[in-house]
Amino acid sequence: MSSLDVELIDVVKDFESGGRRVRAVDHVSVQIADGEFFALLGPSGCGKTTTLRLIAGFEQPTAGRVLIRGRAMQGIPAYHRPVNTVFQDYALFPHLTVEQNIMFGLQMEGVEKKDAQKRALESLEQVRLPGVGGRKPHQLSGGQQQRVALARALVKQPAVLLLDEPLGALDLKLRKNMQVELKALQRDVGITFIYVTHDQEEAITMADRIAVMSQGKMLQVGSPKEIYERPGTHFVADFIGETNFVDGALLEREQAGFGVVKLMNDAVIRARLSDTLSAAAGPVLVAIRPERISISRASAEPAGPGMTSLPAKLVDSQYIGTDTRFTLQIGEAGELVARVQNIDDPPKAAFSIGQAVTASWRETSATVLDR
Amino acid sequence: MSAQALVNEGALRRNRRVKRLGGLGLWLNPLVAYFFLWAPILVLVLFSFNQSKSVASFTGFTLQWYSNILNNVVGAESAFSTELMLNAFRNSLFVGTIATAIATVLGAMIALAMARGSFPGKRLLDGLLFLPVVIPEITQAISLAIFFKVAFDWMHLLSGERMFPGFHTIIMAHVTFNISYVAIVVRARLADMDPTLEEAASDLGANPWQTFWRVTFPLILPGVVAGALLAFTLSLDDFVITFFTSGVGTTTLPVFVYGLLKLTVTPEVNAISTIMMLLSTFLVGISLALQGRGASQS
Repeated sequence: MSSLDVELIDVVKDFESGGRRVRAVDHVSVQIADGEFFALLGPSGCGKTTTLRLIAGFEQPTAGRVLIRGRAMQGIPAYHRPVNTVFQDYALFPHLTVEQNIMFGLQMEGVEKKDAQKRALESLEQVRLPGVGGRKPHQLSGGQQQRVALARALVKQPAVLLLDEPLGALDLKLRKNMQVELKALQRDVGITFIYVTHDQEEAITMADRIAVMSQGKMLQVGSPKEIYERPGTHFVADFIGETNFVDGALLEREQAGFGVVKLMNDAVIRARLSDTLSAAAGPVLVAIRPERISISRASAEPAGPGMTSLPAKLVDSQYIGTDTRFTLQIGEAGELVARVQNIDDPPKAAFSIGQAVTASWRETSATVLDR
Repeated sequence: MSAQALVNEGALRRNRRVKRLGGLGLWLNPLVAYFFLWAPILVLVLFSFNQSKSVASFTGFTLQWYSNILNNVVGAESAFSTELMLNAFRNSLFVGTIATAIATVLGAMIALAMARGSFPGKRLLDGLLFLPVVIPEITQAISLAIFFKVAFDWMHLLSGERMFPGFHTIIMAHVTFNISYVAIVVRARLADMDPTLEEAASDLGANPWQTFWRVTFPLILPGVVAGALLAFTLSLDDFVITFFTSGVGTTTLPVFVYGLLKLTVTPEVNAISTIMMLLSTFLVGISLALQGRGASQS
């Protein structure tokens, strides 16, 4: 295993707000390896930016420890930490030229002006923005300012680069391009990136690992695949991608991580238990991704091994280009959305609304979560 | 039907009339207000170019009074002397420069503390900052006069030295009222400034001292200069407070003009007043331009 770049040990951050104590970061522990692209993902107010600011040194933890490259950061101010930040609104110095902005950090280290100038030029080339060194930040477009902010941080060759929603202010197309470019750049320079975002797609496409945060807690940490395929909680399953949730009662925990759940229509199904499931029995949620549900004509044939099949009624169908979304009524158990890719050309209208069908999925595709 | 139409027609016409009247009112209103605002100053400027010595009638255009005050042509009945005027002007510049320098540093520091600091009683102090702007000048003048008297008495008691009012008291008095103006202007500038810029500087390795001088100060400099110009203008123009805190040989230009007025209103007074007004307007104009530029930049 590669060495650790950043380690948070049981970090808590409280803010005083109008005489009330607000816990922004709630007992967060995480280890981030050298060279990793690590995303902090969550809705606004979940504590992801505060976590980033604790690493940057703009905030001091109320409790717990922050370690960077094995060194405790307690009492070490931001200007002595081997990390640099790309701010959400770039925070370029408006009174300095682009070149002076990039040289700023180097001059603080005591680098000679000539060397600093040379490195600033190289850095601008690295972010593919040569020839703008003499301009003022306000003469650049949002995307260009973003690149300058990146160059200004990277030129310092930090151990860790902290990025606070760096693409948030860009329009969709530019954002997509920058995602690819940022990822390539990160692979290129090999610097650890800690990337704050509320955009799950951004996190999934770019990050090596994602930490999903909610209400100050780090709910789950894992690769994009793990987070998507094996969500540990209702919140994570709901926040990442689209998910069907069906109420049920856990009847039995089997060996090998499976369980037997009775749905509200009295159907009994097998489903995989989430790793963090605490319920031994009783009310639970079953989560199934829409694209994992297939639809076939109603038949009385029993499901094959490892499969779940339930009789359903087609309530609605919605053509959305690549896919068709079918809404299915599973009796008392509630509604399920199934996404079926439009492979046929031209797409066949296979099912009509009101028709009785069979909805099936693999037992491994359904996850039992705590309510 | 037709009766209804007639009624409607009448209402419409009445409406139009009301609208036209309203338009006229909107045009007249500022005219009247501006007349009140500017008429006295206009009269002053006009009579500074009057050939006749009396303000009873305007007999013709002349630049004689402007030339007189610069060339020391003194009428027999006039208390005017160019030398005394220039001396008073020098005194004004001296007081203004030093008071401005001190008030600007102190005011900017207060503004920084108010904008960036968090300490108990900050809100109260913030409100008190505006007090010198709103309390009557005469109150401030008397309070300062009494304060200096008491302070000097105590010093006399303690050290045996007796101190007298002079430039130092005028300068201190000017500093007291100018601090507020500078602080208010600089604070507005600081409020416009994005605090993440300071975090960015810190993030790039600048300690608080470097952050201040390389990021914060250059960004608030237009505000500081604007505040200083405002302070300098107020200092040059001040009469009441200066009058109450001055000593012997510390006559500033406004006090000098007042002295002239006590004898008789001479055309020279009009000329000096006009020049003072132009100078003040010019300085405040630069100050406002600087403040405006700051606002549009961020």
